[in-house]
Amino acid sequence: MGKSYNTIAFDANKCDGCGDCMTACATAKVGVGDTARSRIQIVGSADDGFELALCRQCGDPKCVMVCPAGALTKNFDTGVIEWNDAKCVDCLLCTVGCSYAGIALDAGSGHVAKCDTCDGAPACVPACPHDALTYVTTSRIYNEVGDWEDLFAPGLAGCQGCNTELLMRHTLRRVGPETVLATPPGCVPGMGSVGFNGSTGTKVPVFHPLLTNTAAMLAGIKRQYKRVGREVNALAIAGDGGASDVGFQSLSGAAERNEQILFMVVDNEGYMNTGMQRSSCTPYGAWTSTTPIGKGSGGMPSQGKTQDAKNLPLIMVNHRCEYVATASTAYMEDLYDKLDKAIQASKRGFAYLHVYSPCTTGWRFPTDQNMEVARKAVETNFVMLWEYNRTDGLRFTRPVDDPLPVTEYLRAMGRFRHLSPDQISHIQSKVVENLAFVQQMAHRQSA
Amino acid sequence: MTTATLETPAQAKPAKQKVILCEGNEAAALGVALARPDMVAVYPITPQSSLVEHVAKLIADGKMDADIVDAEGEHSVLSVLQGGALAGARTYTATCGPGLAFMFEPYFRTSGMRLPIVMSIVTRDGITPQSVWGGHQDAMTVREVGWVQVYCETVQEVLDTTIMAFKIAEHHDVMLPVNVCLDGNYLSYGTSRVELPDQAEVDAFMGVKDVNWHVALDPHRPMAVDPLTGGSGGKGPSTFVRYRKGQCRGMQNSLRVIEEVHEEWAQRFGRSFAPLVEEYRLDGADYAIMTLGSMTGAAKDAIDEARDAGRRVGLIKIKTFSPFPVEALMKSLGKVQAVGVVDRSVGFRWNCGPMYQETMGVLYRLGRHVPSMSFIGGLAGADITVGHFHRVIEATEKLLSAPAPIEPVWLNEKD
Repeated sequence: MGKSYNTIAFDANKCDGCGDCMTACATAKVGVGDTARSRIQIVGSADDGFELALCRQCGDPKCVMVCPAGALTKNFDTGVIEWNDAKCVDCLLCTVGCSYAGIALDAGSGHVAKCDTCDGAPACVPACPHDALTYVTTSRIYNEVGDWEDLFAPGLAGCQGCNTELLMRHTLRRVGPETVLATPPGCVPGMGSVGFNGSTGTKVPVFHPLLTNTAAMLAGIKRQYKRVGREVNALAIAGDGGASDVGFQSLSGAAERNEQILFMVVDNEGYMNTGMQRSSCTPYGAWTSTTPIGKGSGGMPSQGKTQDAKNLPLIMVNHRCEYVATASTAYMEDLYDKLDKAIQASKRGFAYLHVYSPCTTGWRFPTDQNMEVARKAVETNFVMLWEYNRTDGLRFTRPVDDPLPVTEYLRAMGRFRHLSPDQISHIQSKVVENLAFVQQMAHRQSA
Repeated sequence: MTTATLETPAQAKPAKQKVILCEGNEAAALGVALARPDMVAVYPITPQSSLVEHVAKLIADGKMDADIVDAEGEHSVLSVLQGGALAGARTYTATCGPGLAFMFEPYFRTSGMRLPIVMSIVTRDGITPQSVWGGHQDAMTVREVGWVQVYCETVQEVLDTTIMAFKIAEHHDVMLPVNVCLDGNYLSYGTSRVELPDQAEVDAFMGVKDVNWHVALDPHRPMAVDPLTGGSGGKGPSTFVRYRKGQCRGMQNSLRVIEEVHEEWAQRFGRSFAPLVEEYRLDGADYAIMTLGSMTGAAKDAIDEARDAGRRVGLIKIKTFSPFPVEALMKSLGKVQAVGVVDRSVGFRWNCGPMYQETMGVLYRLGRHVPSMSFIGGLAGADITVGHFHRVIEATEKLLSAPAPIEPVWLNEKD
């Protein structure tokens, strides 16, 4: 398994083209503040903004490939592409090979020059007065857990573009092999995790509970292992239908008894595996196969679901669980952080993790848009990311101070295509109301 | 041995047995404690409630070392136990009536997963009409779901059978859940003298616990439990058939195992119960009446009186109702010329009692015409008295000389 590295990230929205970064770079590298000699270059963009010309320290570097002299090499410890002046023949082929203008002739030296990240402490980053540059560890998860064993077999059969498989693989590899996994009927077993006719898709003990009894069966399993002194994780990866509707009683009962279970709900807002029917987690106005669109009768058209979604994670907060959190696959670091806390909490009692998971097939959006839809849900506050424990109460983990209008989210999907202006304003007002409600809980509990 | 009588000579009785006075629900709880389950899950329902209260108190008093789960309903009660059994626990619960109905979804699955869970059914009539009193309608309604079901006649039999049920369920040739049925009101609250076996002797009888050798949810032995099975393609059809045939084989094996376990019980503890079918004064009888459960006591009194009055009548009691003891019953029915079957529940499809319906199948296999008729009594807590049984005897006797009525006789219709 490879490794990925820290990188200098650029936020064009914050850049005003002041050039302080270039001055800092040139000063650090050649001793004078001559911006022409800087290895980072801020250049005007076609839309009157600014762009970045800087070495990306590519994983598959074209400059290295085109160099005929072996003067450029990728250092796999630091990730930096290093230039060796003793080998360089000054042919400048590398400057043509790079798509990012990340390596260029430095007229002052007569050779090419490129960013070496100042050995991991780039001078340009602190020099920016607008925080447009950050030196970020975007690949922490990849580096930390990438080598851990994937406990699902390759080739699970999810729909194209579905992120539930991603979520399952991340979750189980994090929870680890000393786990009994329950996947009640739905997409998770539907893609083959439990298996068919004697073959299985999972490397840990796995089973189909009934749609109705996931939490109860896991409670029995966990209690018996506790009784015989064995540390075994009891993990559910369940759908929203089985958790919020027909399985809610056993979920609530297990939470009340504070059974030591990690219960993850993958909320795709309906019975997607059985053909996209409505659940109590389906949002207002959404088309589903049991809330279809039609002209209706008596002048009352059928315009999707007529009720608002049940807020299951808030209901779980009211069980005073050891830990409750909402998460999104568009924010994996946030999700991993919560997963770690949930695993720890499940050793003491009931831990509940509610992951919003857009459904390419059922929500009617292109298969390459899953993360974008998930992100828009958060950016509009349609979905809020927060966590709760009994000591610290509820707190937002990723507050959205300046939310986009909810239409930015709604128009990303076909399931809301039919919405009337009245329905859209209902949804927008519910977003505001729900946000205020959760904020109130957060304030009350932090007070 | 397919039949036994109470006259079976007992072995030398162990010295350590304590004698107490208790109701059937307490006897069941004491039996459970002696069988040492790891996990019990409970949810109260009349007339089962005092049973789980006794279990809870035994655990609270440290007289029983089990994890008790006060679940939020019967559906979860059985589901918790399924999880426990898959992790290696010996498990127990009790329910009845509406609780059993609510439990049906995991109930069906327990036998399919071959989990040796023991569950008492403190039998209660089915609703509606709304009723909280005894009757066999609850247990009869689920007789076709692959659980072994045995019915007790006395409080002592409740205690002894509860312990034996674990051994039957966990026998490697069976691996099926077992219902110990005790009549609501009549056995649940009926108080009797009971001999309490010694714990060490019960331990020796039970042997080594090994409940999840065949199916487990254990990281040390990772396997997928109950993946999708069946369909019309590939190895689906044959795989599904293999599961179902295995269940049916387990049911048939249980007939032999129930006999063996009862035999061993008699040898160790000196109390003998007919494991499948009991004959009472059947020798020399021209006709018989058939009973199930606690009604049998009054029926035996009636038989004694009838015999004294010169009627040539005997009694056949069913203890093991599921699997239906076809061979054993054929032997008993082979001795008589007519039979009247008394049920404590209703078979709606045939307009007769369920046990009568099953018996008709056995009579057909007998290959000889034996006139028969159905009696239904004791619904929703009603008593079936010695007087009722005299009516049963008289009506059955008439079958020897007159055509059998098609309609059942409702014993409490004019009570």
